[in-house]
Amino acid sequence: MRLCARLLALVMLIALPTTLATQRALAETTLDKILKEKKIRVAIDVGNPPFGILDKDGQPDGSDVAVARQMAKDMGVELEFVQVPSTGRIPALLAGRADVTIASISVTTDRAKAVMYCHPDGALSIVILGPKSVAIKTPADLVGKRIGITRATLEEATVPKMAPQGTNIVWFDEIGATIQALLSGQVDAVAMTSFAGKTVADANPDRGIETKLPVTTAYYAPIVRPGDFELRQWINTWIFLNTQNGTLAALYKKYTGVDLPPLPIF
Amino acid sequence: MHYVFQFNVVWEHLPELLNGALLTIELSAAAMALGLLLAVLCAYGGAAGPKPVRLLVQAYVELIRNTPFLVQIFIIYFSLPVAGIRLTANTAALLAMTVNLGAYASEIIRAGIDAIPQGQVEAARALGLRRLQIFRFVILFPALKTVYPALASQFILLMLSSSVVSTISAVELTAITNSLQSTTFRSFEFYFVATGLYLAMALGFRVVLNAIYWQVFQRGRAA
Repeated sequence: MRLCARLLALVMLIALPTTLATQRALAETTLDKILKEKKIRVAIDVGNPPFGILDKDGQPDGSDVAVARQMAKDMGVELEFVQVPSTGRIPALLAGRADVTIASISVTTDRAKAVMYCHPDGALSIVILGPKSVAIKTPADLVGKRIGITRATLEEATVPKMAPQGTNIVWFDEIGATIQALLSGQVDAVAMTSFAGKTVADANPDRGIETKLPVTTAYYAPIVRPGDFELRQWINTWIFLNTQNGTLAALYKKYTGVDLPPLPIF
Repeated sequence: MHYVFQFNVVWEHLPELLNGALLTIELSAAAMALGLLLAVLCAYGGAAGPKPVRLLVQAYVELIRNTPFLVQIFIIYFSLPVAGIRLTANTAALLAMTVNLGAYASEIIRAGIDAIPQGQVEAARALGLRRLQIFRFVILFPALKTVYPALASQFILLMLSSSVVSTISAVELTAITNSLQSTTFRSFEFYFVATGLYLAMALGFRVVLNAIYWQVFQRGRAA
């Protein structure tokens, strides 16, 4: 009996470290997988100018897309785009359909509960804009107005907090529908990034669409699944190097038309 | 893949989800009643109306049945304001659902009307029934009884397709689910629960529709 127990202890003593070692070797990280398959899957939102759009040939374009292309090139792997709507940016990542989401996702503590942020690679402002005929000069003027916002965006997280009681907030699933609601007069004003607002105003000069109120300014960053520290560290390294060599600033300027503000790291 | 499910956040927001489900039920039930009415009118107009009416009904049915529901919703919600008609999202959704169901249901009812033996109508005429009486008692009632299962399926389908009206900001179950998942990032949990709610609503509607069938077509009638 005692011999049996000793033998068992001996076996366990040998087996336990071996099992642990094999488990560690077996747990392939997302970065390992990307490098082994020579392919990175990046979730992008092509309905969000100027960060993600489709060019006239129907190909993805925009500052997020350019960042993803440069990143994959520098990593030396093939790039596969996973196109998602704004509401699908985090679910697609969590469901494993993409390895990383690069879709101007502004940094918030709420989102950080679900995904891991890399260092910021850009900044954006949310503004309220509408046609000249609609009088909005202070937040108090929002009372009684119909304000269109898009779900799963920074404006959804900020506008309801800044708008006074009595503001009629109308939610849309896609920024395309929000813009359409503004142009068709279903809403009096909309909240979106200043860049998207400029695109809308420039495309519809006869509507006299102008910026009414600033809402907030935020940094956005690529996101990875919780636990993907190796991939996050590689992306952070890439962001550091491309901040230093000016590539990020050049891409940002090319698509937004304004200078990239200094990017903080965290 | 490693994912930890956290359903407690869903239960916190359950009242909001149920509110969304309530609007889904209200929209669907109203669209079923109005759509059926529209379908019966179209079926009558298409079967017995003068030529222009028949052509009009045919054009409406083909237009609706051969275009996507989402596009119909967009046109009603985004184009009508240009013509000076600014509907709220819920009204626009109800209108779109009614118009959509009317076209599909009228085709189903037409199939039922086609199945009525001509001799039965002739017999009714020989008995001296008036035109409207013939349509009501000899054609429509037996036709509806024949196609009731197909109609009930179309009603359930309508309830499920109501999920797309969230795109025009109607705050039904899918809209609430999308908002909650995008602020809490518990998308799997919320979509699972929403799926369960849709299933429950579909089964609930089926029970009610079966009860209506029994009440209208079976009770007190020998087969």
